[in-house]
Amino acid sequence: MEFFSNLAIGFGVALTPANLAFAFLGAMVGTLIGVLPGIGPIATIAMLLPLTFHLEPVSGLIMLAGIFYGAQYGGSTTAILVNLPGETSSVVTCIDGHQMARQGRAGAALAAAALGSFFAGCVATALIAGFAPPLARVGQSFGAPEYFSLMVLGLVAAVVLAHGSVIKAIAMIVLGLLIGLVGTDGNTGGQRFTFGIRELTDGIDVATIAIGVFGLGEIISNLSRPEEQRSLLVQRISRLWPTGDDFRRMVPAVLRGTALGSVLGVLPGGGATLSAFAAYAAEKKSSRDPSRFGQGAIEGVAGPESANNAGAQTSFIPMLTLGIPGNAVMALMIGALTIHGIQPGPQIMTERPGLFWGMIASMWIGNLMLVVINLPLIGIWVQLLRVPYRFLYLAILLFCAIGVYTVNNAASAVMLAAFFGVVGFVLWRLDCEPAPMILGFVLGPLMEENLRRAMKISGGDPMIFIDRKISLGLLVAAGILLVLVALPAIRGKREVVFKEN
Amino acid sequence: MALSDSHHSPTAASPWHLLARTDVLAGLLFIAIAVFGLWVSRHYPVGTALRMNTGYVPRLLCWMLLGLGVIVAVQGLRSGAPTIKPLHAAWRAVLSVTAALLAFAFAVERLGLVLAIVLLVGIGSFATSTLRPLETAAAAAVLIVMTWSIFILGLGLTIPVWPVW
Repeated sequence: MEFFSNLAIGFGVALTPANLAFAFLGAMVGTLIGVLPGIGPIATIAMLLPLTFHLEPVSGLIMLAGIFYGAQYGGSTTAILVNLPGETSSVVTCIDGHQMARQGRAGAALAAAALGSFFAGCVATALIAGFAPPLARVGQSFGAPEYFSLMVLGLVAAVVLAHGSVIKAIAMIVLGLLIGLVGTDGNTGGQRFTFGIRELTDGIDVATIAIGVFGLGEIISNLSRPEEQRSLLVQRISRLWPTGDDFRRMVPAVLRGTALGSVLGVLPGGGATLSAFAAYAAEKKSSRDPSRFGQGAIEGVAGPESANNAGAQTSFIPMLTLGIPGNAVMALMIGALTIHGIQPGPQIMTERPGLFWGMIASMWIGNLMLVVINLPLIGIWVQLLRVPYRFLYLAILLFCAIGVYTVNNAASAVMLAAFFGVVGFVLWRLDCEPAPMILGFVLGPLMEENLRRAMKISGGDPMIFIDRKISLGLLVAAGILLVLVALPAIRGKREVVFKEN
Repeated sequence: MALSDSHHSPTAASPWHLLARTDVLAGLLFIAIAVFGLWVSRHYPVGTALRMNTGYVPRLLCWMLLGLGVIVAVQGLRSGAPTIKPLHAAWRAVLSVTAALLAFAFAVERLGLVLAIVLLVGIGSFATSTLRPLETAAAAAVLIVMTWSIFILGLGLTIPVWPVW
């Protein structure tokens, strides 16, 4: 069995003491930033990107991946105990999770979230291991036109699945594509949008723009509105284990959430947040007694929390097999790989099986660690919530500055990040989602390269994208998605999914 | 509140009022960036579809952004489109965070990490009115020790710690 021999390679890599330590570190940091509102996995991964310079590529990836799925665990703690989403993906967990805490059932809610996440994590890990090799084989048959069309589909899907205005999201993607062009044109050597600034000739680093827009922009946004009143509900969590009745309600919700999250995570633009929203809507719809929702229904915690962890993990599939990021976190993962000179794509699995399977195996180990980190040690994380934001933002600000400085080894990058911080704040004020911009930013140079190659193959004839069958299919799919989202009936549904409170 | 309300009603019909619409502002921002990009790239060689030169893709994207910006702005003109709400604490946060980072960028290679952190925390503390001076000083001290032990001691990064003479 190829499947098991691959997993054996993976566990061989993931179980070395160093990689175990990095998986643990990632899970801890992920839980930490997951618990703390005001800092998310995108900013954290961007800040820690420079540290992976000094690590083996596989260790760096193991740690960064741990931060992403660890944040899904930690986010639920804050949602349940404080009624604030620790992460955007746990917004819906607040609804029923906090009600449960008010009824003195915080322990059961926390356990439902952690156990559901663990189950989802195991399934998602197995799915990646099973589906990645065939997908990578498909990817290897792709030429430049197919890749270009695939990226178009990815960007369109990212728009359709994001919340808010579709036109604005497309504009943000185009803006990201434009910012991605800053620097020297690799084909002709011409300077583009460098304004004669020497530091811009190599282009803008993905960590700089991500720290600016997500890390610094969020600090400014958080500070410019009054600090939320945090009322920690539970002083002591008495009973962690759910009752038999809880389990009966939980299990189907966990199964549904895992299935939904696994599918939505693979889609470009999908991932943790969308999965959680969709799972909550599905639970409410399939319940025999929907009125229980909002009153502390355990399904409303178990479903979304399983879904967001499944979605977070399966969103690795397109990144690992095709080299195409489905969300902003995956865009940063690609940045981490390129730091080490590794080109993400279908060849990664055959050329670096240790890296590929090691990371997958580490996900299962990381999930196991997270159950321990989150359930018995819950008291530590509760204490952390008592740190007021006015201290927290100073630390985040400093780590942003040091992160940008060390990844570029240039003080000028800190100024550039400060600029993008203001940009991030302006975009937040104007209700423009920055995540599609980061996707466009990372895909911009790749798309241009493939567009140029495709044009060279066809002799300048754009019909090549239609003549090639796979390319045509991908473009048709993108077109259908755009038409669908323009239909009023679907548009209404789309808004409902994201406005579940 | 009463003051802004009395100010509100007579100007409601004026075209300037439409500028407070979120999407009008967003659309204008996209248009401005696109026009700026087209102006900057006016001398870039464009080439043909077969041989795309430096300016081909950038100019294509700028035209796309221009079109999208117009659509967003027009959408914002519809009645009932959301308006932007004033945030009074925003300027304070924007200015102090930016100034703190610029000070850090200026200081880190000349004055060393310790003074750069003091500057960053000191200037950054003005972003909120809730920090007391003593709290700021304590935060700076803790952060200096933390940063030094993680980045210098732990990771062995070669950032100057003290001023370089």
